[in-house]
Amino acid sequence: MFGYYLDLAWRSLKRSPILTGLMVLAIGLGIGASMTMLTVLHVMTDDPLPGRSAQLYTPHLDPLPLDHKRRGDGPDASDNLTWPDAMALLKAHRATRQAAMAGGSMLVRPARADVRPFDVDGRYTTADFFPMFGVPFLRGSAWGAADDAVGARVVVLAESLSRKLFGADDAVGRMVRLGEHDYRVVGVTRDWQPSPLFYADASAKRYSDGDRFFLPLSTAVDQKLDVNGNFSSWEKNDADSRMVSPTTSWLQFWVQLDTPPQVAAYRQYLVDYSAQQKALGRFQRPPANAKLYGLMGWLAHEDLVPNDVRLQLWLALGFLFVCMLNIVALLLAKFLRRSGEISVRRALGARRRDIFVQLGIESALIGVAGGALGLAIAQLGLWSIRQRPDDYARIAQMDVQMLFGTLALAIAASVLAGLLPAWRACRVAPALQLKTM
Amino acid sequence: MRIHLQVRPILAALHSHKAAVVLLVLEIALTMAVLGNLVFIVYGNIQRAHVPTGVAESGIGLIQSIGVIGQDNPGTAAGNIAVLRAVPGVADAAYGGPPLWFVQSNPVFVDPSRKQALAKVYEFQGSQGLVSTLGLRVIQGRAPARDELPVAENATKDTEVPVLATQALASRLFADGHALGKVIYDGGSNPMRIVGIVDHLRGGITGRADDDYALVAEFLLGNQNVGGGFMIRAGDPAHLPEVLAAAAAALQKANPGHVQSKLYTMAELRENYFRSDLAAGRMLVAIMLILLVVTALGVSGLASFWVQQRRRQIGMRRALGATRGDILHYFQVENFLIVSAGVLLGALFAYALNLFLMHRFELAHLPAHYLLVGALALWVLGQLAVLGPALRAAAVPPVVATRSV
Repeated sequence: MFGYYLDLAWRSLKRSPILTGLMVLAIGLGIGASMTMLTVLHVMTDDPLPGRSAQLYTPHLDPLPLDHKRRGDGPDASDNLTWPDAMALLKAHRATRQAAMAGGSMLVRPARADVRPFDVDGRYTTADFFPMFGVPFLRGSAWGAADDAVGARVVVLAESLSRKLFGADDAVGRMVRLGEHDYRVVGVTRDWQPSPLFYADASAKRYSDGDRFFLPLSTAVDQKLDVNGNFSSWEKNDADSRMVSPTTSWLQFWVQLDTPPQVAAYRQYLVDYSAQQKALGRFQRPPANAKLYGLMGWLAHEDLVPNDVRLQLWLALGFLFVCMLNIVALLLAKFLRRSGEISVRRALGARRRDIFVQLGIESALIGVAGGALGLAIAQLGLWSIRQRPDDYARIAQMDVQMLFGTLALAIAASVLAGLLPAWRACRVAPALQLKTM
Repeated sequence: MRIHLQVRPILAALHSHKAAVVLLVLEIALTMAVLGNLVFIVYGNIQRAHVPTGVAESGIGLIQSIGVIGQDNPGTAAGNIAVLRAVPGVADAAYGGPPLWFVQSNPVFVDPSRKQALAKVYEFQGSQGLVSTLGLRVIQGRAPARDELPVAENATKDTEVPVLATQALASRLFADGHALGKVIYDGGSNPMRIVGIVDHLRGGITGRADDDYALVAEFLLGNQNVGGGFMIRAGDPAHLPEVLAAAAAALQKANPGHVQSKLYTMAELRENYFRSDLAAGRMLVAIMLILLVVTALGVSGLASFWVQQRRRQIGMRRALGATRGDILHYFQVENFLIVSAGVLLGALFAYALNLFLMHRFELAHLPAHYLLVGALALWVLGQLAVLGPALRAAAVPPVVATRSV
């Protein structure tokens, strides 16, 4: 029966090509606009480390004084950790792996005379960062805990930076001048850039920034290197000592916890640590303020999707709704015009249900065509998004999931739009229609 | 007169197509709601992109010149400013950055204890000549004289800094209107004394009231070698690009150890600043146009269906003496009635959508004249969309009435 209905639908659509074209165009435009914005939302809220994200957590403490007020649009000072807290959590070693980190920017001064000095963004971190996040190494390896302990002058380079400095040569073991010191290259990673860059500070451009070098955090603190990110102090601090001050937060901290009991235990540990700090007089707020966010939970908390993207998504969905109303009206006109034909089929024994299914298949066929057009329009829309100067522009690409989502949404929208007209059409009284024919 | 007489039969005819009419009315109402709000958002963005910063924008250019550590560099700050001023066509030059660039924004306090921040303020700091290079208009008090500028090399934590404040900031900090001579503080240690008021200076343009909260401080720079932003103001704005390039070349010659990464005119800075807004605006305009097209297609699709359905009735009316004009008017009036109902409902929807957007996205209230413009647009659109089908209806010959189907 399905094949027959499909054939009927195809004939019917061919009979009024302009009306059919209008409906396909309307659903294509609505779906195209909606899928463009849904894809942007999808890639912005995507899992940056599939397979690992479920085991990654970020602990947050609340070391702020009771009377501290967050400035309206300023960063939340308790989003980051202070140096003493980060070091305490690191040394406690309660998680499978743990790393503290902060973004940094350094002037690279190539040995080759033909390359001018340039600035490059990277990360100061501790040894567990690499195995915890699964950073893929091309050559060499990460530094070890011993290097962290002494603040060794070692560096891990990303492939693109290594190639820029040393060409195709193996960079491991070579020296590179960053800022005012020479660092020994211990490893080269593939260009690795989780999107969003979940472990970066709130001030980072999380969809376009990536790390091109990695230095031991202790080395950065010893040499007071520049940090990219928010420094929030809640007491007067000397510029000289603020990196290690107990009243300045600037570090991000991530842990790997493999099992639910481990997660619960770590959560308890954070509360206990806060209680201990409160007993010592350092913390003032309730220890229960200490939080442990999962990776996706943290991204939701950070709310990375800008308001204008949400606004445009709402507008696009509203637009799809208008298009659907349009199709409802056109289908109603089209189906009711065929009252005669429907009456003949009814008189010949077709049940209402059969008519309903037949018309439903016709709507779905429009949906398939509209979905194909919508895909093309969405690609155009995404291309235009990629031309934007925004930080998320580069990643606006459709994946397989969204591709099938587009088709499914188009068919669902057109079948939904066909419901009312089909219902009206299958309730036509055959006798009356046949008489007037 | 005749049109008036037609209304009742039209309403009666529409009554038998309730479902289609309701759908069309809804579609027009939704189009109106989305359209009204979109136009409002886009127009707001365009307006924002033209808010002046308060500086002499057409003449200002920026040279980003950064020292490379360890490289010898003979240039000094005072020397660099002199070099820039000597370039033909340069009216003024200073070390410091213009608005819409990286302007620091800090909380300010009127009490030395710094407990209660009164406002967030853009702080413009630079060398001697900053105020005149920016071309600020001092409307009260005066710009700090050269001999009262704090000397950058000798400045300590307690050195008092004379500053200019914008009028908006002055009245925010001192409601009584007596800001001149008062001392204020930012997060740093130095007290700042307001010696003059400028009319406007916007560090950024976000649409919020505190855009126009700014402080300007000049420091006397001498032999230190500083890198960062150097600004020039061209005497004749028409020649700014050439003058800026010449100035950059002169600065590079005087500072072989500097890396010049960027040159910007103020117009380019403004363009960069608003690029993202404009890109989003273009997308909204595209959605708007497509929406109008889709609605027009819907209206005209349904109208042609009705025309086709009523061919016999049209033929009968023609046979009974109706002119072509009557038939044409019939469909035009019918369309006008439907669009009018849609517009009325649409005004309600537009306000509802606006309330929702205000709640979620801090949008302003939708002024009523946007609705009027939207209604007008939809009426015109409806008439255009129905014109084709209506003309086809008018062309139906009376003889159709006598034919069977």
